[in-house]
Amino acid sequence: MNAEDANPAATPTPCGDIHGDGRWMSMHERFVSDGKGKEPEVVFVGDSLVQLMHQFGIWRQLFSPLHSLNFGIGGDATQHVLWRLSNGELDNISPKVIVLWVGTNNHGHTAEQICGGIMAIVQVIKNKLPLAHTLVLGLLPRGKMPNPLREKNALVNKLVQEALSSLPYTSFLNVDPGFVHSNGSISHQDMYDYLHLTPKGYEAVCDPLHEHIKSLLEKPPEH
Amino acid sequence: MSGDENPAAVPKPVEDVQGDARWISQHTRFVQECKDAEPDVLFIGDSMIQLMQQYDIWRELFSPLHALNFGIGGDTTCNVLWRLQNGELENISPKVVVLWVGTNNHEHTAEQVAGGVMAIAQFLATRLPKAKIIVLGLLPRGERPNLLREKNATVNSLLRSLLLQIPQAQFLDVSAELVHSDGTISIQHMFDFLHLTSSGYRVVAKPLNDLLLQILEETPEERRASLV
Repeated sequence: MNAEDANPAATPTPCGDIHGDGRWMSMHERFVSDGKGKEPEVVFVGDSLVQLMHQFGIWRQLFSPLHSLNFGIGGDATQHVLWRLSNGELDNISPKVIVLWVGTNNHGHTAEQICGGIMAIVQVIKNKLPLAHTLVLGLLPRGKMPNPLREKNALVNKLVQEALSSLPYTSFLNVDPGFVHSNGSISHQDMYDYLHLTPKGYEAVCDPLHEHIKSLLEKPPEH
Repeated sequence: MSGDENPAAVPKPVEDVQGDARWISQHTRFVQECKDAEPDVLFIGDSMIQLMQQYDIWRELFSPLHALNFGIGGDTTCNVLWRLQNGELENISPKVVVLWVGTNNHEHTAEQVAGGVMAIAQFLATRLPKAKIIVLGLLPRGERPNLLREKNATVNSLLRSLLLQIPQAQFLDVSAELVHSDGTISIQHMFDFLHLTSSGYRVVAKPLNDLLLQILEETPEERRASLV
């Protein structure tokens, strides 16, 4: 299925400046210029779950030592990340690993469309950085109790995992350490608003993620 | 000024558009916290309040003051007013309320936003006649000067004078070190030119903490041993 025009989640779209302070574009431009100055081995790309990771101690502890850059923007959906990566954020750098975490903000898109969006991003990365490995992280459950978005995110994960299984230089990692308790609830100790991670929530996600990235960095580059 | 005329002063819950009911879940949790806790300080507002609790500064400076954090990201004055009128003040008598809201009121003019903040301050003053109310000024936002900075500055200047009408309330501007002389905001202080980093919160928390300590020391009730 390649009807990219018909899939809004896979159509590169910048964020318009609806509020009037140009923040999204400021951040994009900063990421593009970061690329000119730095030589990252790992680049994290995605939405607020990526962006917030950078604000807590866990980033300096686990990911700075790996020479990482953080290109997360809160609120981004797949089409926004697709636009950013197609418009300069991957130029001038040659990281070994790209960590991609996006899809939970694609409200109004179906799980199939979101999967299509993620796969379109994987394709852009492959075109620009043929030697890099793309690690796609599974979407986390959200909401305090079971709800349709949890089901949708789980379906996205299933579809993406299947689609990636046949692609070289990509892999899928489920980073949910078990946030959903036996009664179906998610704790605010892990997600302070039942979507965004607390520092404790990040520790549970990032420790295994860090191990996985290290093992990818230790592998010889794929072709 | 009646609430009907100012849309920013009309209490409104957030509708569950996304489908995971997170806003009401957070509100419900706060109402429950009111049943269990006896806070001396109540922080209420939008993500500027909410995110504060995720950094070390909260545990260092504000937890010791027996503070509760009722911030919800994205909230406007309408949402905060609704929450306060629907359970988030039940059973508690904080000595101080810290209110920080208004930067998300995108549909409203600066005058309406200031009116919305005043409606909240007035409601707090009526419900908690013995409490002091600290209204934090809206921070500048965006990397470079822009219309929202001007709007937020106008809200602040209106609030400075309007709040004189409420004797137990005061306005506090915590933005002093955030804008460079060239008008830019540093990403070291605001990671997305809106939300504060850990360093940004340290800058902002200092004057607030100083004022809180001053107010709490003035309170003629028995001091708790754990006051710093």
